[in-house]
Amino acid sequence: MKFLRLRVANYRGITTAEVAFAPDGITLIQGPNEAGKTSLAEAIGLLFYYTDSSKHRAIEAVKPVNRDEGPEIELQARSGPYEFTYFKRFHKRPETRLAVTRPKPENHTGREAHDRADAILRETLDVDLWKALIIQQGDAIDQPDLTKQTSLSVALDTAAGGRPANPREEGLFDKVREEYSLYYTERGAEKKDLVESKKALAEARAEVARIEQAIRDLESDIEQAANLQRELRQLKNQEETLENEVAAHTTSLEEINTLESALEKATLKLETVRVSEEMARRDKDTRQGLIDAVMKATRTHKDIGESNVTSLSALNRIDDELDKARTGLNEADRRRKDADALAVLRREDFDYYNNKLHLDQLLERKGRIDDARNDAAKAEEVLARNKVNDHVLRKIQSAEKDFLTAGAQFETGAPSVVLCGLGECLLSIDGSETRLDKGEVRTISVADKSTLIIPGALSVEIVAGSSIEGLSKKLQDAREALEKVCKAAGVDGPDEARTAFDGRREALRQIENKAQVEKDNLRDLTYEELERKLLGLQQAVPDYLIKRVTEPSVCTDLGSAKKEWLNAEAGLKEANSEWEAAREAVEAVRKVREGLNIKYQETRVEFDLIVKDLKYAQEALEKARNGVPDDALDVNLADSIRAVADEEANVVSAEALLKAKNPERVRLLAETAKDSLQTTQNRRGAAHTEFTQVQTRLKIHGEEGWHEKLHVAQSRLERLEHENRALFRRAVAVRCLLDFMREERDKVRRAYVAPIKEKIERLGRLVFDDTFQVDISDELQIISRSANGATVPFDSLSGGTREQLSLIFRLACSMIVAKDGDGTPLILDDALGYTDAARLRLMGAVLARAAKECQIVIFTCVPDRYCNVGAATIVPIG
Amino acid sequence: MIKFLQTSDWQLGMTRHFFSEGTQERYSQARLDAIRTMGRIAREEGCLFMLVCGDAFESNQVDRKTVVRALEALKEVTVPVFMLPGNHDPLNAASVYRSSTFVERKPDQVHVIETAAPININEDVEIVGAPWMSKKPAVNPVEETLAALQPATGVTRICVAHGIVDQFTPDPEAQGVVAVEMLERAVSEGKVHFVALGDRHSLTRIGNGDRIWYSGTPESTDFAEVQSGYANVVEVDNGRISTKAVRVGEWCFTERNRVDLNTPDEVQALRRFLEDIENKERTVVRLNCVGSLSLSSRDELQAYLDTVKDVFAAFDMREDDLLVLPDEADFGDLGFSGFADATIKRLRTQISEGGGESVVARDALMLLMRLARGTA
Repeated sequence: MKFLRLRVANYRGITTAEVAFAPDGITLIQGPNEAGKTSLAEAIGLLFYYTDSSKHRAIEAVKPVNRDEGPEIELQARSGPYEFTYFKRFHKRPETRLAVTRPKPENHTGREAHDRADAILRETLDVDLWKALIIQQGDAIDQPDLTKQTSLSVALDTAAGGRPANPREEGLFDKVREEYSLYYTERGAEKKDLVESKKALAEARAEVARIEQAIRDLESDIEQAANLQRELRQLKNQEETLENEVAAHTTSLEEINTLESALEKATLKLETVRVSEEMARRDKDTRQGLIDAVMKATRTHKDIGESNVTSLSALNRIDDELDKARTGLNEADRRRKDADALAVLRREDFDYYNNKLHLDQLLERKGRIDDARNDAAKAEEVLARNKVNDHVLRKIQSAEKDFLTAGAQFETGAPSVVLCGLGECLLSIDGSETRLDKGEVRTISVADKSTLIIPGALSVEIVAGSSIEGLSKKLQDAREALEKVCKAAGVDGPDEARTAFDGRREALRQIENKAQVEKDNLRDLTYEELERKLLGLQQAVPDYLIKRVTEPSVCTDLGSAKKEWLNAEAGLKEANSEWEAAREAVEAVRKVREGLNIKYQETRVEFDLIVKDLKYAQEALEKARNGVPDDALDVNLADSIRAVADEEANVVSAEALLKAKNPERVRLLAETAKDSLQTTQNRRGAAHTEFTQVQTRLKIHGEEGWHEKLHVAQSRLERLEHENRALFRRAVAVRCLLDFMREERDKVRRAYVAPIKEKIERLGRLVFDDTFQVDISDELQIISRSANGATVPFDSLSGGTREQLSLIFRLACSMIVAKDGDGTPLILDDALGYTDAARLRLMGAVLARAAKECQIVIFTCVPDRYCNVGAATIVPIG
Repeated sequence: MIKFLQTSDWQLGMTRHFFSEGTQERYSQARLDAIRTMGRIAREEGCLFMLVCGDAFESNQVDRKTVVRALEALKEVTVPVFMLPGNHDPLNAASVYRSSTFVERKPDQVHVIETAAPININEDVEIVGAPWMSKKPAVNPVEETLAALQPATGVTRICVAHGIVDQFTPDPEAQGVVAVEMLERAVSEGKVHFVALGDRHSLTRIGNGDRIWYSGTPESTDFAEVQSGYANVVEVDNGRISTKAVRVGEWCFTERNRVDLNTPDEVQALRRFLEDIENKERTVVRLNCVGSLSLSSRDELQAYLDTVKDVFAAFDMREDDLLVLPDEADFGDLGFSGFADATIKRLRTQISEGGGESVVARDALMLLMRLARGTA
């Protein structure tokens, strides 16, 4: 469709306005606000949508202001094969005119003109798409709704290389969906009809099953009733048979009872005579017992009397033997005592010599101890006097050394006098006499002054010079120190000190020696014990000889004493052995005697007892015989034995009669028959009860007409199954159809999304960059935009970008539809209000590109916004 | 000379699943009406009595209403009626003949044959029955009945029995099967002069002579019956037997086992066949169709069947072997070219592949056509 010319009059605030559109490319209608641009854009729609008599508010809204005129709209257009001029006046003098000039002239007025124009429009234009693509001023520019745009679909089908869908196909699809919705929900769940059909079918099946079960129960009861009837008949026959058996057994049992009674009497009688026999036998035995007791006691009396005499004789003999043994023992005892006395004496002799030796040894040991103790006492005294110990000695020696050193120094530095012996002579030097041997040379140092005197011959005083005084003084001091030390030690000089030191050391050694001597000689004794022991021995040893018997004489020495003692000990041992043998002999005889004595005493007691027993037995026998004589007892016993034999024969006879009747078998059979009868009666009663119950059930349920009910239920079930099958068959068919159709439709949609995507991207890359891409949904909506690798959902884009994409989308649609025919003119009313200047320039290029393929009409009050749209027909208004 | 009416297998209480509720009611009523008809026939033919040779009731557990209605119908039968319990209504503990309804409402002239003891009708005629006491007796009761009989002298003895004879069953040794030879021997030995049998629903003469007969059911019950819907009027005259089949039933079961449907002509032939059937409201039709039809022909046939099927008492068309193969002409006028056209092609492909899915595809295609034509 192409718009060629539009004129409005008495339209809102417009008195009259007319616009001529460029049939191709862009027509840019410019004018200030309220110039009527939006009215013009709107007028085309109103012309087609409403009849001239319409009271729609949209028509009411376009009434002229302050004029009583009807708004007029006139459009000259070309659509498909048609070219026409279409005029309408609303409200006031409403009028519709349609003048078609191509392909053949037509003129219509009124409603006819409206309908014809509508028909032409619908025949040649996708009205819905046209509505979708128009951008009205003030509307938020968003994506067009293209889901039901037939011409677009056809165009896209063609673009995708497929055969274009018949416009009715979408309608068919809707009908299929509608049919589907009769059976299934949107999510594919079964709807009420299907569910209820299934439910009804299940209920019908359950009902059939219930009735079948009832029939089975009934048939079971019928069968049971027949079985019970049969059983009752059998039980009745069985009961009669058993009753006859019980009666027969009862008769037999009565006979058996009679025989058993007779046997019982015979048995009782037998027991009675057996008791009598037993008593007679017991009396007889008792009597015989008495007789036997007397005889036995008599025999025993005699035997024990003889035994008593023998025992007494043996006892006397053993007493003699015991006396002899005791005599031997006494003799052996005496010998043993003599040997023992001798052994004691010889032992004492040996002890005597031993003690004597011991006494000597002790005396010697005590002497050694005493000596050591004396020496030690003296040493103690020395030690008390002598103070020159090791320390003192070292001090004296040190002082001596100092003195000698000072002397040497004096002699070296002081004048000395060398004395040379020409012969032996005595002399005195400073008062000390000394001897000078012949040839001896002695040097005397003079510290201060020395006096040398040769007795009787000469006195020489030697005086040292003044240089000698120091040395002399030093020598004098050393001397005084030495003398002081020696004096403190209690000695006269060093030599004496050394002697004293040696004496002190000797004293210490003696004190140490005393301890060793005591240890060696006391051994395990103390000195006092030694003294006591010694004192004891000193008294005992002399006393022994004084007190000792004279005979035998004492031995001469310790060796002989020991020998005699050992001999005496051997004799004693032998005497002891003999005594022991004699004692054992006495003991053996005593034991034999004791045995004989016990036996004798026992025999004696037994004899006394048997005497008593014999007496008692004789008295008892006598007493019994006085009561019943012996021969009377024999007669009584014989009678009893005969009676027992008679009664035993009677019992045997009764038993034979009873046994012939086989009572045990008869009783068992009778009991069995009785029990069987009871069992049968019980079972018959139970069967009868059961039969009654079954009959009652049959009476109740047998006439309920189950079979007919089953037929009805089965028929209903079959009908429901048929209906259910048909219903589900229809449902499955429509589901299959919808699935197939949806798949095919989606397949087509997916195919025709591709060309529109390509067209949008080609236009979009003029505005954005070469990476620009969009995702298009099956519902032909832009889902997202991608650029430079970043994908942004459409709804998240800025208002300007969304506006630009929406316009590009519309342009793409128009271009695609235009390829297939005239296409749909795109009317834009002041679009791109959200687009910045840079983008406006690029969008101008987009519009210019689109305008090469479709008619674009732009109404704007901002001409600058579209200064970059390239070639355009500019129509100023207002 | 005596006459009696032999009938059996009334099967009262029987239901047919292919009947609608109303049809079933009519059918049940027809079976009750048959009793009255037979009563009238018996009277008109001068029958001395009526023998019902078993299975008067479909089951012992029929509805009380059925029993009451049957007894009401029997009230109108003026001759004595002797009813033999058969395998469907044996004289067991739950027998319909012992039900309170039957006992209380039984007309006086109606007698149930409860034992094998001879029943004297008059000086010249007696009947001996072989009632079924249970559904599954070890042997058919007639064997014991006949075995216990001595040859009849001075009396015409009619044996009333029930059960299938060995010549009609693939398993002659099965329980309850009656040996024809045994029956013929009993006849030849003079134990009985006529054997009135029930169980087979078609009027049938048994054996070589004319003395053993199935009367068949007085009203048809199924398609397999050869000659049902009759009563057998038997005349015994000085030892001679003659029988006469008298039509009683009004219902018809018609079945065509193979109806070829491949062309529009054959569809037309079927239409003519159905049109020619008389008494449609009491006719049950079953068609087993074979062949293949285009969608258009199938639609055409279906449209006809939709109008005619309700006229018949019941109409059962089996199409398991009837294929519907769409051809180009079926879709030529739809003018589809887009996804709807692709859908049609897919469905047609699936139909041609056969199998269970082809049935679904065929239904889907027919639906599509219906909807498309609705949208055109």
